[in-house]
Amino acid sequence: MIQGNAVQSISRAFLEDDGFIAQGRSAFPVHATGTCYAFDLDGTVTREELLPLIAMELGLETEIALLTRLTMDGMIPFEDSFRLRFALLRTAGLERIQSIVAEVELDPFIAEFIRKNRDRCFVVTGNLDIWIAPLMEKLGCGYFASTAMLDEGRVIGLREVMRKSAPALQLKERFERVIAVGDGFNDIPMFDVADIGVAFQGIHTAPDALVSVSNYVALDGSSLCRLLSTL
Amino acid sequence: MSPVKHAVIAAAGLGSRLGHGKPKCLVEIEGVTILAQLLSRLSDVEDVRVVVGFEEKAVMAELKRIRPDAIAVRNPNFRSTTTLHSYAAGAKFLEGDCLFLDGDLLLEPESFRRFIDSCRPNAPRLGITKAKTRDAVYVTIEDEKVTAFDRLGPAEFEWANVAWLPIEFFRNIEDTSVYQHLCRFLPLGSKELVSYEVDTEEDLLQARENAHLFGMNAGA
Repeated sequence: MIQGNAVQSISRAFLEDDGFIAQGRSAFPVHATGTCYAFDLDGTVTREELLPLIAMELGLETEIALLTRLTMDGMIPFEDSFRLRFALLRTAGLERIQSIVAEVELDPFIAEFIRKNRDRCFVVTGNLDIWIAPLMEKLGCGYFASTAMLDEGRVIGLREVMRKSAPALQLKERFERVIAVGDGFNDIPMFDVADIGVAFQGIHTAPDALVSVSNYVALDGSSLCRLLSTL
Repeated sequence: MSPVKHAVIAAAGLGSRLGHGKPKCLVEIEGVTILAQLLSRLSDVEDVRVVVGFEEKAVMAELKRIRPDAIAVRNPNFRSTTTLHSYAAGAKFLEGDCLFLDGDLLLEPESFRRFIDSCRPNAPRLGITKAKTRDAVYVTIEDEKVTAFDRLGPAEFEWANVAWLPIEFFRNIEDTSVYQHLCRFLPLGSKELVSYEVDTEEDLLQARENAHLFGMNAGA
């Protein structure tokens, strides 16, 4: 469980560094070199969507499921949908949300790949920085997320909802090649910027629009990681 | 252990000569798709990549059903490119040798097993089969090596559209068919296979008559 002070310091890190948190060693070389991997979180690294899990806690499964479906189908923009879902779910309380998120089942192959390539793997997620912080600590890689406004450790609102092209561009400045992996509509801007896009269908069928901008489609975690290690 | 670590199946084409309105790899023989049969032939190959284009969603759904650890490689330009481009896309970033197959093949298990077992690093070879299809690419064989391709025939053997080749063969490609591209690498080793290719309705009829050869239920 993350403590109040840690929450504050993470929040400051976001304010100072445009949505990015590096964990462990210093993140980037001066010149763009090598290859990095940018992973979507929900339904890619995690085997379940996180927001529906939080909804269960509040008995709001139906409401959140509807919003999730509309978002996955591209019927409402991710940003609007995330603001709505945030408004519904925040009442669960920060600590409870963090512990639900931290206990989510991860794809074992992807989690292992990230652990082995910590310095060049990044999670790029629309989910909220403060909600996923303990999970990300467990994964141990840098990440970009939507950001929360905090007041004395309490989440008082949304600061910025993630648009995934921005972190992809940031990564491009620091790495020669960016390989993006994701399963949803909000991954399209990241694929657009990335050198190689891999649509992941391990949990969901990726929307046609995402597939249409991808180079590869991986159907499970083990073949995804096998593919990544050859790219 | 088999040196065959990678296989690329080209399954992006329209299959317009057959004209069933679906990818040829999804045509069924005795209730089993050609793709399922091919994947069952490749059950010992760790890294299988299927190049998809026309009706890619349907091909990927079949792939997910039969072999979710296979990778789908997209060739969005399938209408204006040849199988050669699909092979190159499928093997891009790989190193060493790779098995290349067309997605419209029926392969008799025993002879294909012998072909795979005979593959060695840096020893390219083509699968050849008794000439039988209408639009065959015939081969001239000298000393068990393919020394020439031609479209005219007649000849005893045609290329089976199966090949074990170094990936670097596909680094620089032009807008040609696969056999035209491979001309520059001749002579190439050969090994006989019992195989049928389904390009036309007649090929399909012939393949269906010989379905017993291909262990079709093994892929289901």
